[in-house]
Amino acid sequence: MDKETVVRVARTAHLALTDEEIERFSADLGEILDWFKVLDEAPGHEGVGVNPTPVSDVMRDDEPSQEYSQPELLKDMKTYDQYVRGPKLA
Amino acid sequence: MIGEEALPRLKEINSKYQMFRAMTDDKDIGDSKFLFSAKDNLTSMDMETCSGSKILEGYHPVFDATPIANMRKAGGKLIGKTNMDEFGFGTFSTNSAFGIPRNPFDTNRSCGGSSGGSACAAAVIEDHVSIGVSTGGSVACPASFCGTYGIVPTYGRVSRYGLIDYGNSLDKPGLLSVDPKKLREYLPVISGKDPHDATSMCQPDLDLNSDRIKSVAVPKQALEGVSDDVTKAFNDALEILKGSGIDIEYVDMPELKYAMPAYYILATSEASTNLARYVGMRYGRQDGDMSKRFDDYFTEVRTGGFGVEAKRRILLGTYTRMEGFRDRYYAKALQVRLGVIEAYKKVFANHDAVLTPTMPFTSPKFSDIDKMTPVQNYQADFLTVPTNLSGTPHLNCPCGYDADGMPVGMQFVTDHWKENLLVNMAEDWDRMFEVRRAEVSL
Repeated sequence: MDKETVVRVARTAHLALTDEEIERFSADLGEILDWFKVLDEAPGHEGVGVNPTPVSDVMRDDEPSQEYSQPELLKDMKTYDQYVRGPKLA
Repeated sequence: MIGEEALPRLKEINSKYQMFRAMTDDKDIGDSKFLFSAKDNLTSMDMETCSGSKILEGYHPVFDATPIANMRKAGGKLIGKTNMDEFGFGTFSTNSAFGIPRNPFDTNRSCGGSSGGSACAAAVIEDHVSIGVSTGGSVACPASFCGTYGIVPTYGRVSRYGLIDYGNSLDKPGLLSVDPKKLREYLPVISGKDPHDATSMCQPDLDLNSDRIKSVAVPKQALEGVSDDVTKAFNDALEILKGSGIDIEYVDMPELKYAMPAYYILATSEASTNLARYVGMRYGRQDGDMSKRFDDYFTEVRTGGFGVEAKRRILLGTYTRMEGFRDRYYAKALQVRLGVIEAYKKVFANHDAVLTPTMPFTSPKFSDIDKMTPVQNYQADFLTVPTNLSGTPHLNCPCGYDADGMPVGMQFVTDHWKENLLVNMAEDWDRMFEVRRAEVSL
């Protein structure tokens, strides 16, 4: 994988890489993608295997419930007036 | 009760083997009926849960993962959370931010991964059972390296509620113990439908009846690239099985060669989305500078919090899902998974189980692991990945020892929902083969 692509992917994933890491991941990911090429010759399939075992509709009734108390959920979070604090949006 | 003598010595035991990330301070068992440990990617109310990652330091869950909750309800006492590769990303438990578990047969060698701490606890502590989690081989591999039994039930058999996701379509809690009777005892405890996890809701009842494996298929492809020591132990085990009346047939499963890349694409794709939630808000590390713009804040926290292998897998999984590459990698891998499942089903039409060695070599020294490239590292999983990709249940049985006395394991794979065959096999095998315990000295 060329270095420009590594940088682009890292930015998408919110990771800052040093020059040394870009060099290293470029080589590593290139080797891994070469190894993946065997998939090009694998037979396709009509289905899509999102889950390995069957799933069915298991939706429960839409009844409001609260299993955990709000203070308990907020106890380890940075909060302001019971709101979760986050960084600046703009 | 056996095992309780370990409680006052837990810190001492851990200082030698580093199997625990967190452990109880209790010195007696109280009203509990048995002791157990659990991999640190299962949430626990009384112990910090970090999944082997710095980014989750300080995370104190408000609920127990369902397998832990069920073990407690059955009278179990959780004595520790076991060390692991960060988020399960590894084969040797060396990608841990906290402690690298030491193999009880030789502390210069790996316990395997990523449930290495669980295998170590199971091997070292008397009368112990540990809950591990397998995504691509993370129970069978450490069970093989540490000489314990390890069972991974069918995908969906055990609820993933409270399991810190690596790959949602692949993660499966399982059990490790040197005593196969514990698999029979505790698999029903952790199994069952859980409304908190939709993928657990379609399972048939777990029925540990007396059905037994009568014939096994050994894929020829699985014997290529396996070390001489492992091949010898495996062949000796086949002779024992034949002697017990089990038919052995060598078969072709060419589809297995596609399982590895398909697995790594699906696992990293799912991991890269799952790990997007770790941005320094709500849980874990929240020590970034909040006056920064959100993009910069998230990047700062994630860059400092994730280890090298986590970053590598996030990059890989992000790439394989990107526009222009998605069909070639992610979509193709989903198709290949169905092909691998069909290949297993074809074999199961004529055989009760597929049998291979569990790992292609015995536990390596840490100094040798350091020299491996990422691809060499990933390829070490080539025997455990196909069954994990297909969501089929599997079992590691210790089946021999190499010239240095390190354990060798063999892996039985059965059809979906047929854990009964594996539990019976483990007990039968334990009567046919003398499993060695590591000499534990403190």
